[in-house]
Amino acid sequence: MLATLARVAALRRTGLLSGRGGGRGLWTSHPQSDVDNIKPLEGVKILDLTRILAGPFATMNLGDLGAEVIKVERPGTGDDTRTWGPPFVGTESTYFLSVNRNKKSIAVNIKDPKGVKIIKELAAVCDVFVENYVPGKLSAVGLGYEDIDKIAPHIIYCSITGYGQTGPMSQRAGYDAVASAVSGLMHITGPEDGDPVRPGVAMTDLATGLYAYGAIMAGLIQRYKTGKGLFIDCNLLSSQVACLTQVAANYLMGQKEAKRWGTAHGSIVPYQILNLPDLIDDSKYKTNHLRVQNRKELIEILSTRFEEELTSKWLYLFEGSGVPYGPINNLKNVFAEPQGLPSFWRVWGPQGKGQQAVALQEACVKETFTQHQYVLHNGLVMEMKHPTVGEISVPGPAVRYSKFKMSEARPPPLLGQHTTHILKEVLRYNDRAIGELLSSGVVTQHEAE
Amino acid sequence: MLATLARVAALRRTGLLSGRGGGRGLWTSHPQSDVDNIKPLEGVKILDLTRILAGPFATMNLGDLGAEVIKVERPGTGDDTRTWGPPFVGTESTYFLSVNRNKKSIAVNIKDPKGVKIIKELAAVCDVFVENYVPGKLSAVGLGYEDIDKIAPHIIYCSITGYGQTGPMSQRAGYDAVASAVSGLMHITGPEDGDPVRPGVAMTDLATGLYAYGAIMAGLIQRYKTGKGLFIDCNLLSSQVACLTQVAANYLMGQKEAKRWGTAHGSIVPYQAFKTKDGYLVVGAGNNEQFATVCKILNLPDLIDDSKYKTNHLRVQNRKELIEILSTRFEEELTSKWLYLFEGSGVPYGPINNLKNVFAEPQGLPSFWRVWGPQGKGQQAVALQEACVKETFTQHQYVLHNGLVMEMKHPTVGEISVPGPAVRYSKFKMSEARPPPLLGQHTTHILKEVLRYNDRAIGELLSSGVVTQHEAE
Repeated sequence: MLATLARVAALRRTGLLSGRGGGRGLWTSHPQSDVDNIKPLEGVKILDLTRILAGPFATMNLGDLGAEVIKVERPGTGDDTRTWGPPFVGTESTYFLSVNRNKKSIAVNIKDPKGVKIIKELAAVCDVFVENYVPGKLSAVGLGYEDIDKIAPHIIYCSITGYGQTGPMSQRAGYDAVASAVSGLMHITGPEDGDPVRPGVAMTDLATGLYAYGAIMAGLIQRYKTGKGLFIDCNLLSSQVACLTQVAANYLMGQKEAKRWGTAHGSIVPYQILNLPDLIDDSKYKTNHLRVQNRKELIEILSTRFEEELTSKWLYLFEGSGVPYGPINNLKNVFAEPQGLPSFWRVWGPQGKGQQAVALQEACVKETFTQHQYVLHNGLVMEMKHPTVGEISVPGPAVRYSKFKMSEARPPPLLGQHTTHILKEVLRYNDRAIGELLSSGVVTQHEAE
Repeated sequence: MLATLARVAALRRTGLLSGRGGGRGLWTSHPQSDVDNIKPLEGVKILDLTRILAGPFATMNLGDLGAEVIKVERPGTGDDTRTWGPPFVGTESTYFLSVNRNKKSIAVNIKDPKGVKIIKELAAVCDVFVENYVPGKLSAVGLGYEDIDKIAPHIIYCSITGYGQTGPMSQRAGYDAVASAVSGLMHITGPEDGDPVRPGVAMTDLATGLYAYGAIMAGLIQRYKTGKGLFIDCNLLSSQVACLTQVAANYLMGQKEAKRWGTAHGSIVPYQAFKTKDGYLVVGAGNNEQFATVCKILNLPDLIDDSKYKTNHLRVQNRKELIEILSTRFEEELTSKWLYLFEGSGVPYGPINNLKNVFAEPQGLPSFWRVWGPQGKGQQAVALQEACVKETFTQHQYVLHNGLVMEMKHPTVGEISVPGPAVRYSKFKMSEARPPPLLGQHTTHILKEVLRYNDRAIGELLSSGVVTQHEAE
């Protein structure tokens, strides 16, 4: 073991396993010039009335680009996901912590006309208004698009719903699992001979959030040209159906009903290639088209062969081959803490002396370190100090830019953590007015600040 | 049957089932004022060297917002996905047709220095350069970021890869299935007691494409402020790990390793698909009130006050027992009956639709109908028949209403239809539906109109094979 760790340390020194910041100057977390460190959405204020996942994910991504996100929450419970656990970190659910960094929380009761007034005043000084209420609900309290457009014609008003603003399904609340089912995604996901399943994370919600994130920026670009705001309709069902891409096209044009394929692909076979030389010249498998036709037989031969060896041996054999390959990682392996090493190691420990065993051990050590270095290198884990629950870590931003740093990692807010701050600094309320709103319960302020 | 169709026609007249364009003026496909019909990305030129899915999906979405997309393809084969089928429509695979609308195709050999020169000249007059080559490959032919930045410092250069620009995995080609595995998505997808599976469509590729689509717009916004371009690094693994959101946070902060849940949810019960007599219904009860409603609909009133199931926390703890009771009940009835009973209940519900039901062609009606046809006379049967007719029409109206299917006339293969844009805007129409290009369909056009090459220069490039032009135009 000592020899292997020494080998890894040597790999590190050669730069093959790089530390934070990576190799090319282009890619460090330091922009080329301080003057250039202007974030695209700096100065943009977003009034965020969304809750749960799609909306918060969109505004979090916009916050990463420099926007200021003011998260409006209902006093008492706030965003429902604050209570969605276990797991919790102290009082906050990991669910809430994962998609709400860098936002300020103002707790306002929008069922009270005084609360509605505050929201309208905030809208007048914000650039973007995002919400995910069932269509009609916000209009009923005077916060619909027409209401906000009257007092803030510059506003980019983005609604995120389950099924759109109008039409026969628009009054149904939007939930990822249901949208995933109605849109066809669940039908096409699952074992070939088994029941449908959902993707293990709410990809429909997340795709909708990403569409909204882009759409809001399109709205800002539009405003540069026209000086006016606009309304944006994002919804789960449309987003997921749009993402069906070729699966939908196969049906619409090829009359080919979709089915489940497990881990395989409908039109490409095989994803795995093995060194079984007789297969290479076999007339049944010469082209992809033939491989698709003879898929069952071919996959059976390949599967039998794969089951004969450990994952780590295959990783060793496939490295540098040019063929796409990778293990199915559980979360521990995704984040590949070096101390998580034993997950591969335990398999090897009692076995293997001799040169091949050492080579294989190094392969699995190397793969684990490789994965871990990737995680560090690409900033996939963002660590922050939360004011009450302490150290937290969440998945970080996915995209990196050469000319600016992503927003500093500031922790997700406590419920109403910034109520007073926002009323004072953004809306210029005096202390007496704020005191009245607090004592009448129109707004609440978190004790911690 | 005639009576039911008459009832549906009446529903249509009342506006409950709306035709194209919907109810509110805000939502029609006609913008409020002709003067306002400026698309956000009108005037933006995108030089698109991407292939397969993530990149083409991103540039297609940007094209929908008005950008002009010039798709650079290798002569001969072009984008690999042109051959990914069956199914094909004529010569073009449905795969290719589904993600390449509204683009112009120029077929250029970038292994030839003359081809590289053309790309550089195009970059100088474009706003965005998008590519998905393994890092280093484009630099090797003189088309890397530093090369393009020198001649076009305004360029927004977006690279889409499997694993990023640098670091230990950067030389591996990016494939959705592999990224899906390495990122943890596959581990958490599949039946609770079964093997991992992939989402049925390449959601990792698509999420990366959506990140890129947003990032490119962020780059354009940045350029308004600084006057300069920049480089953007999008990759499959980072995009998918970022999308792990609470699943990753549960592990990072709660030390909770992820597992597969089938259609269920780790922290909310009940929230999953239930087998019915003839299919599956997804039902979610996110709070106690909804749970009570579900119990009433299922005619299991004793569950409402059962101390084991009073709160979500308790329902999670006693999941197995509760789900078994509910499952048994759900299996007793047809999907269409449950749709009828759940309508207007306030509880989230929906059938697991196959593609036929997603697009719910009215002539696809028999899929529900066949079940009902021989049965059911009498009032309840009629009500149930109407329910499934209504659900199918509802779905179909939704599809029409929200422009989910985009129809186009392709120059050689005829009528095609693909999923349309997901997002709608009040002040402008999305780009007109123009068909995906044939390989090299616009080569001559682009060399002539964009780069002002004369006919002789174009002729030389064609005869030497540096570029190719499709016969159809």
